[in-house]
Amino acid sequence: MIDAKAIVAGLGGAENIIEIEPCATRLRTEVRDSSKVNEAVLKRAGAIAVVHAGTAVQVIVGPEADTVASDIDELLE
Amino acid sequence: MTLQVLAPVPGRVIPMGDVPDPVFAGSLVGPGAAVDPSRTSQRVVAPVGGRIAKLHPHAFVVVTGDGRGVLVHLGIDTVQLKGVGFRLIAAEGDEIEAGTAIVEWDPAVIEGGGRSPVCPVVALGAAADDVRVVAKGGEIAVGAALFTWS
Repeated sequence: MIDAKAIVAGLGGAENIIEIEPCATRLRTEVRDSSKVNEAVLKRAGAIAVVHAGTAVQVIVGPEADTVASDIDELLE
Repeated sequence: MTLQVLAPVPGRVIPMGDVPDPVFAGSLVGPGAAVDPSRTSQRVVAPVGGRIAKLHPHAFVVVTGDGRGVLVHLGIDTVQLKGVGFRLIAAEGDEIEAGTAIVEWDPAVIEGGGRSPVCPVVALGAAADDVRVVAKGGEIAVGAALFTWS
């Protein structure tokens, strides 16, 4: 079970998130400041792994990625 | 019970570690095998029988009766295509048999767009020891045994 609220926190909070797009098994996110991303928090939230490439951060959550992304979208609105 | 996982596309079997994506290459969502597909327009088939639990144009998950999920991902970074180049044949929630056509695509078009058309087939959440690749390194026909999941 993935905790959408904790994923947002692990990405540095709502204000740090530019975009979240679900893929089949991962959330592809674009953040403002990658130093605010906390991998330990993301893993406690249920992430399997986190892959960084600058401000592009992929949070690997498994096949429920689209559900998690829509939960996060609701939180960010 | 050992599950037979079939090749969803025809092509050449490659080890998961050779997939040009760190998540699949590192088996982060599970072990399995990949197929470098033949560059012809083709119908992608279900690797196992069960229910289509997730269906994106570029990827799908079939969950078997005993709750095991197999992910087929058509090409790398293909989510960015937003469905262009893929034609769905089946629908999410459908109960299907192994070998049922799910989606139609042309790997040559994906490659022409600058993306790898390699297809990872993943035993979601399986232990590495539970997967045994039966087709190694050679050509594989669509619907032929790719790996077993014990």
